[in-house]
Amino acid sequence: MNPISRLGAGIISVVEGVGRYVSFLLRAVRGGLLPPYRVRSLFKQMHFVGVESLLIVLVTGVFTGMVFAVQANIGFSRFGAESLIGAIVTLSLTRELAPVLTALMVNGRVGSAMAAELGTMRVTEQIDALDSMAVDAHQYLAAPRILAATLMVPALTMVFNAVGVLGCWYVAVKQLSVTPGAFQARIEWWVDPDDLLGGMLKSAVFGLLLSSVGCYKGFTTSGGAEGVGRATTTAVVISGVLILTSDYFMTLILAPLSIG
Amino acid sequence: MKKIGIALEGLQKRFGAQEVLRGVSLEIPAGEVTVIIGRSGTGKSVLLKHVMGLMRPDAGIIRVSGQDITRLRDAELRRERFRFGMVFQNAALFDSMNVFDNVAFPLREHSKLSEAQIRLRVEAMLASVGLKDAGKKQANELSGGMRKRVGVARAMVRGPEFLLYDEPTTGLDPIMTAQIDALIRDTQDANPGLTSLVISHDMAATFRIADKIAMLHEGRVILEGTAETFRETDDPRVRQFVEGRLEGPIQ
Repeated sequence: MNPISRLGAGIISVVEGVGRYVSFLLRAVRGGLLPPYRVRSLFKQMHFVGVESLLIVLVTGVFTGMVFAVQANIGFSRFGAESLIGAIVTLSLTRELAPVLTALMVNGRVGSAMAAELGTMRVTEQIDALDSMAVDAHQYLAAPRILAATLMVPALTMVFNAVGVLGCWYVAVKQLSVTPGAFQARIEWWVDPDDLLGGMLKSAVFGLLLSSVGCYKGFTTSGGAEGVGRATTTAVVISGVLILTSDYFMTLILAPLSIG
Repeated sequence: MKKIGIALEGLQKRFGAQEVLRGVSLEIPAGEVTVIIGRSGTGKSVLLKHVMGLMRPDAGIIRVSGQDITRLRDAELRRERFRFGMVFQNAALFDSMNVFDNVAFPLREHSKLSEAQIRLRVEAMLASVGLKDAGKKQANELSGGMRKRVGVARAMVRGPEFLLYDEPTTGLDPIMTAQIDALIRDTQDANPGLTSLVISHDMAATFRIADKIAMLHEGRVILEGTAETFRETDDPRVRQFVEGRLEGPIQ
Protein backbone atom coordinates (compact mmCIF):
# COMPACT_ATOMS: atom_id res chain seq x y z
CA MET A 1 0.00 0.00 0.00
CA ASN A 2 1.36 3.44 -0.84
CA PRO A 3 1.71 6.04 1.92
CA ILE A 4 -1.26 8.13 0.76
CA SER A 5 -3.74 5.28 0.73
CA ARG A 6 -2.35 4.13 4.06
CA LEU A 7 -2.98 7.62 5.46
CA GLY A 8 -6.47 7.59 3.96
CA ALA A 9 -7.23 4.16 5.41
CA GLY A 10 -6.01 5.39 8.80
CA ILE A 11 -8.26 8.44 8.70
CA ILE A 12 -11.25 6.37 7.61
CA SER A 13 -10.75 3.92 10.46
CA VAL A 14 -10.48 6.76 13.00
CA VAL A 15 -13.65 8.40 11.67
CA GLU A 16 -15.46 5.05 11.71
CA GLY A 17 -14.29 4.42 15.26
CA VAL A 18 -15.55 7.82 16.42
CA GLY A 19 -18.86 7.19 14.68
CA ARG A 20 -19.28 3.82 16.36
CA TYR A 21 -18.36 5.31 19.73
CA VAL A 22 -20.90 8.13 19.36
CA SER A 23 -23.67 5.77 18.32
CA PHE A 24 -22.76 3.53 21.28
CA LEU A 25 -22.96 6.52 23.61
CA LEU A 26 -26.34 7.58 22.20
CA ARG A 27 -27.74 4.08 22.66
CA ALA A 28 -26.50 4.03 26.24
CA VAL A 29 -27.98 7.47 26.97
CA ARG A 30 -31.29 6.48 25.41
CA GLY A 31 -31.21 3.28 27.44
CA GLY A 32 -30.68 5.31 30.60
CA LEU A 33 -33.61 7.60 29.84
CA LEU A 34 -36.14 4.88 29.04
CA PRO A 35 -37.59 2.48 31.63
CA PRO A 36 -36.90 0.05 33.20
CA TYR A 37 -34.56 2.17 35.36
CA ARG A 38 -31.65 0.21 36.75
CA VAL A 39 -31.57 1.90 40.15
CA ARG A 40 -29.89 -0.95 42.04
CA SER A 41 -27.25 -1.24 39.40
CA LEU A 42 -26.75 2.54 39.45
CA PHE A 43 -26.16 2.57 43.22
CA LYS A 44 -23.80 -0.37 42.96
CA GLN A 45 -21.77 1.48 40.33
CA MET A 46 -21.87 4.75 42.29
CA HIS A 47 -20.45 2.86 45.24
CA PHE A 48 -17.76 1.36 43.05
CA VAL A 49 -16.83 4.63 41.32
CA GLY A 50 -17.31 6.97 44.28
CA VAL A 51 -16.92 5.33 47.65
CA GLU A 52 -14.21 2.91 46.59
CA SER A 53 -12.16 5.71 44.99
CA LEU A 54 -12.31 7.83 48.12
CA LEU A 55 -9.00 6.76 49.61
CA ILE A 56 -6.89 7.44 46.53
CA VAL A 57 -8.62 10.79 46.03
CA LEU A 58 -8.01 11.74 49.67
CA VAL A 59 -4.33 10.86 49.49
CA THR A 60 -3.67 12.50 46.12
CA GLY A 61 -5.72 15.54 47.14
CA VAL A 62 -3.86 16.19 50.39
CA PHE A 63 -0.45 15.81 48.83
CA THR A 64 -1.31 17.91 45.79
CA GLY A 65 -2.44 20.75 48.07
CA MET A 66 0.70 20.38 50.17
CA VAL A 67 3.18 20.30 47.32
CA PHE A 68 1.52 23.26 45.65
CA ALA A 69 1.78 25.26 48.85
CA VAL A 70 5.49 24.52 48.99
CA GLN A 71 5.97 25.47 45.32
CA ALA A 72 3.87 28.62 45.58
CA ASN A 73 5.87 29.69 48.61
CA ILE A 74 9.08 29.56 46.56
CA GLY A 75 7.68 32.15 44.17
CA PHE A 76 5.68 34.35 46.53
CA SER A 77 8.32 34.55 49.28
CA ARG A 78 10.58 36.41 46.83
CA PHE A 79 8.34 39.45 47.06
CA GLY A 80 6.75 38.87 50.45
CA ALA A 81 3.35 37.72 49.21
CA GLU A 82 3.17 34.45 51.16
CA SER A 83 -0.35 35.31 52.32
CA LEU A 84 -1.53 34.65 48.74
CA ILE A 85 -0.47 30.98 48.86
CA GLY A 86 -3.91 29.81 49.96
CA ALA A 87 -5.73 31.80 47.29
CA ILE A 88 -3.52 30.73 44.39
CA VAL A 89 -3.54 27.08 45.40
CA THR A 90 -7.32 27.10 45.88
CA LEU A 91 -7.79 28.74 42.49
CA SER A 92 -5.56 26.21 40.77
CA LEU A 93 -7.23 23.34 42.57
CA THR A 94 -10.83 24.28 41.91
CA ARG A 95 -10.35 25.36 38.32
CA GLU A 96 -7.85 22.82 37.07
CA LEU A 97 -5.99 20.44 39.32
CA ALA A 98 -8.83 18.81 41.20
CA PRO A 99 -11.00 17.99 38.15
CA VAL A 100 -8.08 16.75 36.03
CA LEU A 101 -6.18 14.80 38.69
CA THR A 102 -9.35 13.24 40.09
CA ALA A 103 -10.43 12.19 36.60
CA LEU A 104 -7.02 10.71 35.82
CA MET A 105 -6.96 8.76 39.10
CA VAL A 106 -10.52 7.52 38.63
CA ASN A 107 -9.72 6.64 35.02
CA GLY A 108 -6.87 4.42 36.13
CA ARG A 109 -9.10 2.63 38.61
CA VAL A 110 -12.57 2.70 37.08
CA GLY A 111 -12.15 3.16 33.32
CA SER A 112 -9.83 0.17 33.19
CA ALA A 113 -12.10 -1.95 35.39
CA MET A 114 -15.13 -1.20 33.22
CA ALA A 115 -13.27 -2.12 30.03
CA ALA A 116 -11.95 -5.32 31.61
CA GLU A 117 -15.26 -6.40 33.12
CA LEU A 118 -17.40 -5.71 30.06
CA GLY A 119 -14.67 -7.05 27.76
CA THR A 120 -14.66 -10.32 29.68
CA MET A 121 -18.44 -10.43 29.46
CA ARG A 122 -18.19 -9.90 25.71
CA VAL A 123 -15.65 -12.65 25.05
CA THR A 124 -17.48 -15.13 27.30
CA GLU A 125 -20.72 -14.38 25.40
CA GLN A 126 -22.47 -12.91 28.47
CA ILE A 127 -23.42 -9.82 26.44
CA ASP A 128 -24.80 -12.07 23.68
CA ALA A 129 -26.72 -13.92 26.38
CA LEU A 130 -28.36 -10.63 27.43
CA ASP A 131 -29.30 -9.98 23.80
CA SER A 132 -30.71 -13.48 23.48
CA MET A 133 -32.89 -12.83 26.53
CA ALA A 134 -34.17 -9.61 24.94
CA VAL A 135 -32.37 -7.45 27.52
CA ASP A 136 -30.78 -4.31 26.09
CA ALA A 137 -27.13 -4.62 27.11
CA HIS A 138 -26.56 -0.91 26.52
CA GLN A 139 -29.25 -0.14 29.02
CA TYR A 140 -28.42 -2.90 31.47
CA LEU A 141 -24.63 -2.57 31.53
CA ALA A 142 -23.48 0.71 30.01
CA ALA A 143 -26.07 3.24 31.16
CA PRO A 144 -25.68 2.76 34.94
CA ARG A 145 -21.89 2.84 34.69
CA ILE A 146 -21.80 6.02 32.62
CA LEU A 147 -24.37 7.79 34.78
CA ALA A 148 -22.59 6.72 37.98
CA ALA A 149 -19.25 8.10 36.79
CA THR A 150 -20.82 11.33 35.51
CA LEU A 151 -22.29 11.92 38.99
CA MET A 152 -19.47 10.63 41.14
CA VAL A 153 -16.41 12.19 39.48
CA PRO A 154 -17.70 15.71 40.36
CA ALA A 155 -18.39 14.53 43.90
CA LEU A 156 -14.87 13.14 44.20
CA THR A 157 -13.55 16.39 42.74
CA MET A 158 -15.24 18.28 45.58
CA VAL A 159 -13.52 15.96 48.05
CA PHE A 160 -10.22 16.58 46.28
CA ASN A 161 -10.80 20.36 46.55
CA ALA A 162 -11.58 20.15 50.24
CA VAL A 163 -8.63 18.02 51.28
CA GLY A 164 -6.33 19.84 48.86
CA VAL A 165 -7.09 23.15 50.57
CA LEU A 166 -6.60 21.49 53.96
CA GLY A 167 -3.21 20.17 52.88
CA CYS A 168 -2.28 23.62 51.65
CA TRP A 169 -3.47 25.18 54.93
CA TYR A 170 -1.31 22.76 56.91
CA VAL A 171 1.83 23.68 54.97
CA ALA A 172 1.12 27.43 54.79
CA VAL A 173 -0.05 27.95 58.37
CA LYS A 174 1.73 25.24 60.34
CA GLN A 175 5.03 25.01 58.48
CA LEU A 176 5.38 28.41 56.87
CA SER A 177 4.52 31.72 58.44
CA VAL A 178 1.07 32.54 57.01
CA THR A 179 -1.49 33.49 59.67
CA PRO A 180 -4.80 31.58 59.62
CA GLY A 181 -6.77 34.81 59.22
CA ALA A 182 -4.79 35.98 56.18
CA PHE A 183 -4.97 32.51 54.64
CA GLN A 184 -8.76 32.48 54.85
CA ALA A 185 -9.31 36.13 53.95
CA ARG A 186 -7.25 35.87 50.77
CA ILE A 187 -9.20 32.79 49.63
CA GLU A 188 -12.50 34.54 50.28
CA TRP A 189 -11.29 37.58 48.37
CA TRP A 190 -9.91 35.83 45.30
CA VAL A 191 -11.93 32.64 44.83
CA ASP A 192 -15.52 32.75 43.53
CA PRO A 193 -18.21 30.06 43.53
CA ASP A 194 -17.94 30.21 39.72
CA ASP A 195 -14.43 28.79 39.96
CA LEU A 196 -15.86 25.76 41.71
CA LEU A 197 -18.76 25.48 39.30
CA GLY A 198 -16.53 25.43 36.23
CA GLY A 199 -14.42 22.68 37.77
CA MET A 200 -17.55 20.67 38.55
CA LEU A 201 -18.80 20.97 34.96
CA LYS A 202 -15.50 19.80 33.60
CA SER A 203 -15.30 16.89 35.97
CA ALA A 204 -18.78 15.72 34.98
CA VAL A 205 -17.64 15.65 31.34
CA PHE A 206 -14.47 13.79 32.36
CA GLY A 207 -16.59 11.21 34.19
CA LEU A 208 -18.79 10.77 31.14
CA LEU A 209 -15.75 10.39 28.87
CA LEU A 210 -13.76 7.93 30.94
CA SER A 211 -16.74 5.67 31.66
CA SER A 212 -18.18 5.71 28.15
CA VAL A 213 -14.80 4.99 26.57
CA GLY A 214 -14.23 2.19 29.10
CA CYS A 215 -17.65 0.68 28.38
CA TYR A 216 -17.27 1.11 24.61
CA LYS A 217 -13.89 -0.60 24.61
CA GLY A 218 -15.34 -3.41 26.71
CA PHE A 219 -18.35 -3.86 24.42
CA THR A 220 -16.17 -4.01 21.31
CA THR A 221 -13.59 -6.42 22.72
CA SER A 222 -12.65 -9.44 20.63
CA GLY A 223 -9.93 -12.04 20.79
CA GLY A 224 -10.07 -13.69 24.20
CA ALA A 225 -7.89 -12.80 27.18
CA GLU A 226 -5.40 -10.92 25.03
CA GLY A 227 -8.23 -8.85 23.59
CA VAL A 228 -9.45 -7.95 27.08
CA GLY A 229 -5.94 -6.79 28.01
CA ARG A 230 -5.71 -4.70 24.87
CA ALA A 231 -9.14 -3.16 25.40
CA THR A 232 -8.25 -2.22 28.98
CA THR A 233 -5.01 -0.52 28.04
CA THR A 234 -6.45 1.39 25.09
CA ALA A 235 -9.43 2.52 27.16
CA VAL A 236 -7.16 4.07 29.81
CA VAL A 237 -4.85 5.70 27.26
CA ILE A 238 -7.65 7.11 25.09
CA SER A 239 -9.56 8.44 28.10
CA GLY A 240 -6.39 10.00 29.55
CA VAL A 241 -5.69 11.83 26.31
CA LEU A 242 -9.34 12.86 25.94
CA ILE A 243 -9.45 14.23 29.50
CA LEU A 244 -6.43 16.46 28.93
CA THR A 245 -7.36 17.66 25.44
CA SER A 246 -11.04 18.25 26.22
CA ASP A 247 -9.93 20.15 29.33
CA TYR A 248 -8.19 22.74 27.18
CA PHE A 249 -11.15 23.22 24.88
CA MET A 250 -13.67 23.34 27.72
CA THR A 251 -11.56 25.97 29.45
CA LEU A 252 -11.56 28.04 26.25
CA ILE A 253 -15.34 27.81 26.09
CA LEU A 254 -16.02 28.34 29.79
CA ALA A 255 -13.53 31.15 30.44
CA PRO A 256 -15.43 33.87 28.50
CA LEU A 257 -18.55 32.90 30.43
CA SER A 258 -16.51 33.77 33.55
CA ILE A 259 -16.73 30.19 34.79
CA GLY A 260 -14.18 27.38 34.54
CA MET B 1 -46.82 -33.84 6.93
CA LYS B 2 -44.86 -32.53 9.90
CA LYS B 3 -45.43 -29.03 11.20
CA ILE B 4 -42.55 -26.72 10.35
CA GLY B 5 -41.09 -24.77 13.27
CA ILE B 6 -38.43 -22.74 11.51
CA ALA B 7 -37.84 -22.54 7.77
CA LEU B 8 -34.71 -21.05 6.22
CA GLU B 9 -34.91 -20.11 2.55
CA GLY B 10 -31.79 -19.19 0.58
CA LEU B 11 -30.03 -17.56 3.53
CA GLN B 12 -26.90 -15.60 2.59
CA LYS B 13 -24.43 -13.74 4.75
CA ARG B 14 -20.99 -12.36 4.08
CA PHE B 15 -18.46 -10.63 6.33
CA GLY B 16 -16.25 -8.46 4.15
CA ALA B 17 -14.83 -10.72 1.46
CA GLN B 18 -15.76 -13.88 3.34
CA GLU B 19 -18.97 -15.57 2.22
CA VAL B 20 -20.16 -17.50 5.27
CA LEU B 21 -23.66 -18.57 4.27
CA ARG B 22 -24.19 -19.17 0.53
CA GLY B 23 -27.87 -19.91 0.30
CA VAL B 24 -28.86 -22.11 3.23
CA SER B 25 -32.30 -23.67 2.88
CA LEU B 26 -33.56 -25.93 5.63
CA GLU B 27 -36.78 -26.86 7.36
CA ILE B 28 -36.69 -27.47 11.08
CA PRO B 29 -39.70 -29.53 12.14
CA ALA B 30 -41.64 -28.43 15.22
CA GLY B 31 -41.54 -30.65 18.30
CA GLU B 32 -38.29 -32.42 17.40
CA VAL B 33 -34.56 -32.20 17.92
CA THR B 34 -32.75 -31.07 14.79
CA VAL B 35 -28.95 -31.16 14.79
CA ILE B 36 -26.88 -29.14 12.35
CA ILE B 37 -23.41 -30.60 11.94
CA GLY B 38 -20.38 -29.35 10.12
CA ARG B 39 -16.75 -28.48 10.60
CA SER B 40 -15.70 -25.57 12.78
CA GLY B 41 -15.87 -22.34 10.81
CA THR B 42 -18.55 -23.45 8.36
CA GLY B 43 -21.00 -20.86 9.65
CA LYS B 44 -23.00 -22.96 12.12
CA SER B 45 -22.90 -20.37 14.90
CA VAL B 46 -23.65 -17.58 12.41
CA LEU B 47 -26.68 -19.56 11.30
CA LEU B 48 -27.85 -19.88 14.89
CA LYS B 49 -27.52 -16.13 15.44
CA HIS B 50 -29.68 -15.54 12.37
CA VAL B 51 -32.37 -17.84 13.68
CA MET B 52 -32.43 -15.90 16.96
CA GLY B 53 -32.57 -12.60 15.11
CA LEU B 54 -29.23 -11.48 16.57
CA MET B 55 -27.93 -11.05 13.01
CA ARG B 56 -29.73 -10.07 9.85
CA PRO B 57 -29.07 -11.95 6.59
CA ASP B 58 -27.87 -10.25 3.40
CA ALA B 59 -30.48 -12.22 1.48
CA GLY B 60 -32.99 -14.94 2.16
CA ILE B 61 -35.91 -15.54 4.49
CA ILE B 62 -36.23 -16.95 8.00
CA ARG B 63 -39.75 -18.07 8.89
CA VAL B 64 -40.52 -18.75 12.52
CA SER B 65 -43.92 -20.46 12.76
CA GLY B 66 -44.61 -19.13 9.27
CA GLN B 67 -43.70 -15.49 9.97
CA ASP B 68 -40.73 -13.93 8.16
CA ILE B 69 -38.57 -12.42 10.93
CA THR B 70 -36.04 -10.80 8.62
CA ARG B 71 -38.47 -7.98 7.89
CA LEU B 72 -39.25 -7.17 11.51
CA ARG B 73 -38.16 -3.94 13.16
CA ASP B 74 -35.70 -4.10 16.06
CA ALA B 75 -38.42 -3.76 18.71
CA GLU B 76 -40.55 -6.47 17.11
CA LEU B 77 -37.51 -8.67 16.73
CA ARG B 78 -36.77 -8.25 20.44
CA ARG B 79 -40.30 -9.41 21.26
CA GLU B 80 -39.81 -12.35 18.90
CA ARG B 81 -36.81 -13.35 21.01
CA PHE B 82 -39.11 -14.13 23.94
CA ARG B 83 -40.05 -17.30 22.06
CA PHE B 84 -36.45 -18.51 22.09
CA GLY B 85 -34.06 -19.83 24.66
CA MET B 86 -30.39 -20.19 23.93
CA VAL B 87 -27.75 -22.37 25.56
CA PHE B 88 -24.33 -20.90 24.80
CA GLN B 89 -21.18 -22.86 24.11
CA ASN B 90 -19.60 -22.11 27.47
CA ALA B 91 -22.99 -21.46 29.04
CA ALA B 92 -22.33 -17.67 29.25
CA LEU B 93 -23.58 -17.53 32.83
CA PHE B 94 -23.41 -14.12 34.49
CA ASP B 95 -20.46 -14.53 36.81
CA SER B 96 -21.52 -11.62 38.98
CA MET B 97 -24.52 -13.69 40.11
CA ASN B 98 -25.10 -17.02 41.78
CA VAL B 99 -26.83 -19.94 40.06
CA PHE B 100 -30.29 -19.07 41.39
CA ASP B 101 -30.08 -15.45 40.20
CA ASN B 102 -28.83 -16.58 36.81
CA VAL B 103 -31.85 -18.78 36.27
CA ALA B 104 -34.21 -16.21 37.78
CA PHE B 105 -32.81 -13.41 35.59
CA PRO B 106 -35.13 -13.82 32.56
CA LEU B 107 -38.16 -13.98 34.86
CA ARG B 108 -37.16 -10.91 36.84
CA GLU B 109 -36.57 -9.02 33.62
CA HIS B 110 -39.64 -10.00 31.69
CA SER B 111 -42.38 -11.37 33.90
CA LYS B 112 -44.66 -9.94 36.54
CA LEU B 113 -44.26 -12.96 38.81
CA SER B 114 -43.75 -12.33 42.51
CA GLU B 115 -40.44 -13.26 44.08
CA ALA B 116 -42.13 -16.29 45.72
CA GLN B 117 -43.46 -17.52 42.38
CA ILE B 118 -40.05 -16.98 40.80
CA ARG B 119 -38.46 -19.02 43.60
CA LEU B 120 -40.81 -21.94 42.95
CA ARG B 121 -40.24 -21.83 39.21
CA VAL B 122 -36.45 -21.55 39.46
CA GLU B 123 -36.22 -24.36 42.00
CA ALA B 124 -38.32 -26.59 39.77
CA MET B 125 -36.08 -25.76 36.79
CA LEU B 126 -32.91 -26.47 38.76
CA ALA B 127 -34.35 -29.77 39.95
CA SER B 128 -35.24 -30.74 36.38
CA VAL B 129 -31.60 -30.35 35.29
CA GLY B 130 -30.36 -32.23 38.36
CA LEU B 131 -29.03 -29.25 40.32
CA LYS B 132 -31.51 -29.04 43.14
CA ASP B 133 -29.17 -27.71 45.81
CA ALA B 134 -26.78 -25.67 43.70
CA GLY B 135 -28.73 -22.39 43.77
CA LYS B 136 -26.38 -20.58 46.14
CA LYS B 137 -23.21 -21.52 44.29
CA GLN B 138 -21.41 -18.79 42.37
CA ALA B 139 -21.28 -19.37 38.60
CA ASN B 140 -17.48 -19.57 38.59
CA GLU B 141 -17.47 -22.41 41.17
CA LEU B 142 -19.21 -24.79 38.77
CA SER B 143 -17.72 -27.51 36.57
CA GLY B 144 -18.21 -27.33 32.81
CA GLY B 145 -21.08 -29.81 32.86
CA MET B 146 -22.86 -28.02 35.69
CA ARG B 147 -22.52 -24.69 33.89
CA LYS B 148 -24.22 -26.21 30.83
CA ARG B 149 -27.04 -27.50 33.02
CA VAL B 150 -27.57 -24.09 34.53
CA GLY B 151 -27.49 -22.70 30.99
CA VAL B 152 -30.28 -25.08 30.00
CA ALA B 153 -32.30 -24.16 33.09
CA ARG B 154 -31.90 -20.45 32.36
CA ALA B 155 -32.88 -20.92 28.70
CA MET B 156 -35.94 -23.01 29.63
CA VAL B 157 -37.20 -21.01 32.59
CA ARG B 158 -39.65 -18.87 30.63
CA GLY B 159 -40.98 -21.85 28.72
CA PRO B 160 -39.71 -20.98 25.23
CA GLU B 161 -41.07 -22.51 22.03
CA PHE B 162 -37.60 -22.90 20.56
CA LEU B 163 -34.46 -23.98 22.36
CA LEU B 164 -31.13 -23.45 20.61
CA TYR B 165 -27.87 -25.07 21.69
CA ASP B 166 -24.48 -23.86 20.48
CA GLU B 167 -22.07 -26.81 20.66
CA PRO B 168 -23.48 -28.06 23.96
CA THR B 169 -20.90 -30.77 24.59
CA THR B 170 -17.69 -29.09 23.45
CA GLY B 171 -15.02 -29.38 26.11
CA LEU B 172 -16.80 -31.94 28.28
CA ASP B 173 -15.57 -35.40 29.22
CA PRO B 174 -17.37 -38.39 27.59
CA ILE B 175 -19.55 -39.15 30.60
CA MET B 176 -20.55 -35.53 31.01
CA THR B 177 -21.22 -35.41 27.26
CA ALA B 178 -23.58 -38.37 27.58
CA GLN B 179 -25.34 -36.64 30.50
CA ILE B 180 -25.86 -33.44 28.56
CA ASP B 181 -27.10 -35.43 25.54
CA ALA B 182 -29.59 -37.15 27.81
CA LEU B 183 -30.61 -33.78 29.21
CA ILE B 184 -31.27 -32.41 25.71
CA ARG B 185 -33.33 -35.47 24.85
CA ASP B 186 -35.20 -35.45 28.18
CA THR B 187 -35.93 -31.74 27.93
CA GLN B 188 -37.38 -32.30 24.47
CA ASP B 189 -39.43 -35.34 25.50
CA ALA B 190 -40.80 -33.59 28.59
CA ASN B 191 -41.93 -30.59 26.51
CA PRO B 192 -43.75 -31.83 23.41
CA GLY B 193 -44.37 -28.29 22.19
CA LEU B 194 -40.66 -27.49 22.19
CA THR B 195 -38.51 -27.33 19.07
CA SER B 196 -34.81 -27.93 19.70
CA LEU B 197 -32.03 -26.90 17.35
CA VAL B 198 -28.52 -28.08 18.18
CA ILE B 199 -25.25 -27.06 16.56
CA SER B 200 -22.63 -29.77 16.92
CA HIS B 201 -19.62 -31.45 15.45
CA ASP B 202 -19.85 -34.45 17.74
CA MET B 203 -21.19 -37.31 15.58
CA ALA B 204 -21.79 -39.83 18.37
CA ALA B 205 -23.84 -37.28 20.29
CA THR B 206 -25.71 -36.31 17.15
CA PHE B 207 -26.81 -39.87 16.47
CA ARG B 208 -27.97 -40.19 20.08
CA ILE B 209 -30.19 -37.13 20.22
CA ALA B 210 -31.27 -36.14 16.71
CA ASP B 211 -34.64 -36.65 15.09
CA LYS B 212 -33.31 -34.83 12.06
CA ILE B 213 -29.75 -34.05 10.98
CA ALA B 214 -28.49 -31.53 8.46
CA MET B 215 -24.90 -31.09 7.39
CA LEU B 216 -23.56 -27.63 6.60
CA HIS B 217 -20.52 -27.46 4.33
CA GLU B 218 -19.04 -24.37 2.69
CA GLY B 219 -22.11 -22.30 3.50
CA ARG B 220 -24.70 -24.74 2.14
CA VAL B 221 -26.72 -27.68 3.43
CA ILE B 222 -25.30 -30.70 1.60
CA LEU B 223 -27.42 -33.41 3.22
CA GLU B 224 -30.45 -33.55 5.49
CA GLY B 225 -32.40 -36.47 6.86
CA THR B 226 -32.53 -38.92 9.72
CA ALA B 227 -29.62 -40.73 11.34
CA GLU B 228 -30.27 -43.56 8.83
CA THR B 229 -29.80 -41.16 5.91
CA PHE B 230 -26.42 -40.18 7.30
CA ARG B 231 -25.28 -43.72 7.99
CA GLU B 232 -26.21 -44.87 4.49
CA THR B 233 -25.21 -41.92 2.30
CA ASP B 234 -22.56 -42.28 -0.41
CA ASP B 235 -21.62 -38.59 -0.36
CA PRO B 236 -17.85 -38.75 0.28
CA ARG B 237 -17.86 -35.41 2.14
CA VAL B 238 -20.49 -36.61 4.61
CA ARG B 239 -18.85 -40.01 4.97
CA GLN B 240 -15.51 -38.40 5.76
CA PHE B 241 -17.08 -36.16 8.43
CA VAL B 242 -19.21 -38.88 9.99
CA GLU B 243 -16.31 -41.33 10.16
CA GLY B 244 -13.82 -38.63 11.17
CA ARG B 245 -11.20 -39.56 8.56
CA LEU B 246 -8.18 -37.45 7.65
CA GLU B 247 -8.21 -38.29 3.91
CA GLY B 248 -11.12 -37.30 1.72
CA PRO B 249 -12.63 -34.41 -0.19
CA ILE B 250 -12.71 -32.10 2.87
CA GLN B 251 -9.26 -30.77 3.58
